[in-house]
Amino acid sequence: MNSLSLITSCLTLGSTDPHPNVTPSVLYGLGWLYLILFAMNAVWTWKSYHRGRHFRLPEFLGGMDMPNAAVWAMYSIALLLVSVTHLTCASVPEALRWFVMPDFAKSAIDFVVADARRYFAVTTFGFIGMLLLRNWLAKPNVGWVLLNLSLLFLCVSLTDWDFRQIVGKPDNVPIVAMLFIVGFFTWLFFYRANENDRRSALGKGPIEAENNEKVLTWPDLVYTEMICMIAVTALLILWGIALQAPLEEPASAVKTPNPSKAPWYFLGLQEMLVYYDPWLAGVVFPSVILGGMMAIPYIDFNKLGNGYYTFNERKFAITTFMFGFLPLWVGMIILGTFLRGPNWNVFGIYEFWDVHKLEALNNVNLSEYFWYGIGRPLPMAPAGADFWTQAPYILLREFVGFVAIGVYLGVLPMVMAMTVFKKFFLRMGFLRFMVFSNLVLMMAALPLKMVLRWAVNLKYFIAIPEWFFNV
Amino acid sequence: MPPKPKAAPAAKPGSTGDILAAIRAQGAKGGAAGAPVESTAPKAVVASMAAPAAKSGSTSDILAAIRAGKGSAAAPTVAAEAPAAKAAVKPVAAATSGGAKLSVEEMLKAVRGETAGTAAAVPALAVPVKPALPPMPVKPPSAKEKKITVELGRRSLLVICLSPLVLAFASMAGAALLWLLNLARFMFPNVLVEPPTKFKIGPASDYPLGGVSTKWLAARGVWIVHTDQYKGQNLIYALASVCTHLGCTPNWLEGEQKYKCPCHGSGFYINGINFEGPAPRPLERVGIKLASDGQLEVDKSVKFQEEMGQWEDVNSFVDGALA
Repeated sequence: MNSLSLITSCLTLGSTDPHPNVTPSVLYGLGWLYLILFAMNAVWTWKSYHRGRHFRLPEFLGGMDMPNAAVWAMYSIALLLVSVTHLTCASVPEALRWFVMPDFAKSAIDFVVADARRYFAVTTFGFIGMLLLRNWLAKPNVGWVLLNLSLLFLCVSLTDWDFRQIVGKPDNVPIVAMLFIVGFFTWLFFYRANENDRRSALGKGPIEAENNEKVLTWPDLVYTEMICMIAVTALLILWGIALQAPLEEPASAVKTPNPSKAPWYFLGLQEMLVYYDPWLAGVVFPSVILGGMMAIPYIDFNKLGNGYYTFNERKFAITTFMFGFLPLWVGMIILGTFLRGPNWNVFGIYEFWDVHKLEALNNVNLSEYFWYGIGRPLPMAPAGADFWTQAPYILLREFVGFVAIGVYLGVLPMVMAMTVFKKFFLRMGFLRFMVFSNLVLMMAALPLKMVLRWAVNLKYFIAIPEWFFNV
Repeated sequence: MPPKPKAAPAAKPGSTGDILAAIRAQGAKGGAAGAPVESTAPKAVVASMAAPAAKSGSTSDILAAIRAGKGSAAAPTVAAEAPAAKAAVKPVAAATSGGAKLSVEEMLKAVRGETAGTAAAVPALAVPVKPALPPMPVKPPSAKEKKITVELGRRSLLVICLSPLVLAFASMAGAALLWLLNLARFMFPNVLVEPPTKFKIGPASDYPLGGVSTKWLAARGVWIVHTDQYKGQNLIYALASVCTHLGCTPNWLEGEQKYKCPCHGSGFYINGINFEGPAPRPLERVGIKLASDGQLEVDKSVKFQEEMGQWEDVNSFVDGALA
């Protein structure tokens, strides 16, 4: 529906639309949000003024020197005007039609995110882009612009009913906050790491070695801790008052909420359960993740980066960890929280949660691909056969999967040791390298299976439901 | 060395700033121990310490005190030993004798012992005067070379085992074990608050061909299915409403003619065969038969799995022609 026509229908017919995109109270609330944004940028302008950086205008604009603060000041004033307009004209929505997310942008964004394949491609390429552009992204001004853009995106998107439902759910509010926190700390890491990398390129030691002034536990640390404790307690109390706990109807063994979501921090695991068997995705992989993290200090032979931020000196370790954390863990949490809807279908952030949305998910096992591929039926034991008669038939049926897994976890590490990870193998020795390569391969197994599921509808490599053994 | 500012902290007791300053000075003492002697540094320390103490303790004072302390710790201070010590003793003594109230310095002094307390009160006195360590206790000769030389023969082991102490603990452990075993009794409750596993669901004519009845879903957790979609046979059977992936309850979607699980998106055809999402095997059938009074009777105590070939069992379905 056209947003303009929706607004007019809202105005003329009152509250006939059960899912109005724009209402006076929403616009009024957005006014306050823009005001906060203005205040943030006013502070930034003030800091920029004191920093006193200049830039030269292009020739057609006069070519004179301009302080950076001037640009920030103009932007802040624009935000103030937007805020005032929202606060005063909230009851006249058509006056604010320029601050509503346009429909073509909504459909474009939904087109990308309402499909797990495209979503995963975007997060993965975004991750690679972040690593490549880290020097540019870690500049304070760039970071501030990105923060502003994401907040403006949030503001403009809140004019959509479906977006408000999913983002404003009390369950999901902390996850929105988490996204900003993860973004900030990632930025901070690159900011610090770039600084040290620049210094080491000049032959200087890390900044942490220079500013290693020691402070006392009491009062420096204890005071900081106490102030943090008070602040967090106050925040939790305010939060508890402002947002009601999202309680649902009494539990019933025969009625599962649709969609049924795990706690937010387990949504990555829940997403994994879509692709792997419960015993693997629910038991083996989480244990491997925990055990693997504990094994890192014993696997890592790189002595650099100890006690200071750096990227260049630990490229492999940081890239691997960040890939596991950002696209595979945080990315899956976002997918599970904001994009998974009824019947565990994927929905866009501006899309209505239609229980009857149809998504073709017919899946085929590897054994079926193989046996039907060579034009033969699946090997099957005669009806009523006992276990010992059945077992050879089952193993014959699934042998391709066993071979595939064997090659993946048994042969591939050797190939890696001889080719890409030759240096690693020489440094680590056989046993350590096998542990390391198997951990890396198991981590890679998740995106691999996801891609195979999406590309060729692969269900299981090994599918033996008779023995509860599926991989 | 002006004596006045030095006297200030001692004379005006009681602010948190003083306490912090005192602690700071303590810290400075350690840092300054090996530093070269300088006559100007102590002055600075004294001045900075005097400032916060003059006012009573607001938070800013405390912070100032902390900063001042940091300065003194960082600077290569100290200790023109003799004059500082001489100057310091006087005001402290005066404060102690003159004040009716106990000052913080005095309290600290009491806690730390005399030398440390004086050093705390007057930062300039940050001289490492360590109290002599008490002598290490000497091991008594009895503890030195005592070895158990008792030979434990078979007889004496028996004696030990029969000692009253061992007997008492053993019987207590035995009683605790019996009590624990007694808990197993709760595995077999007298009354089971569950609906009976066998129940009548009315005549077969209630379930027309091509329909999935959700009538018994809420109370009993089964769908009654009448379909000819499984191997072309016209059958009525009962499917347990438990997803074979992780045990959620799927929804029967009439429009799409499938069972769809809300947890991970597994989908099953009307006949219960899995076809989409992660569920590894079909839904399970439970027992069903035609009772003597012409009604259908479902028996949830038995289950039949398709992948095990159990759907061929005659107890897992009734003939659809009955409807």
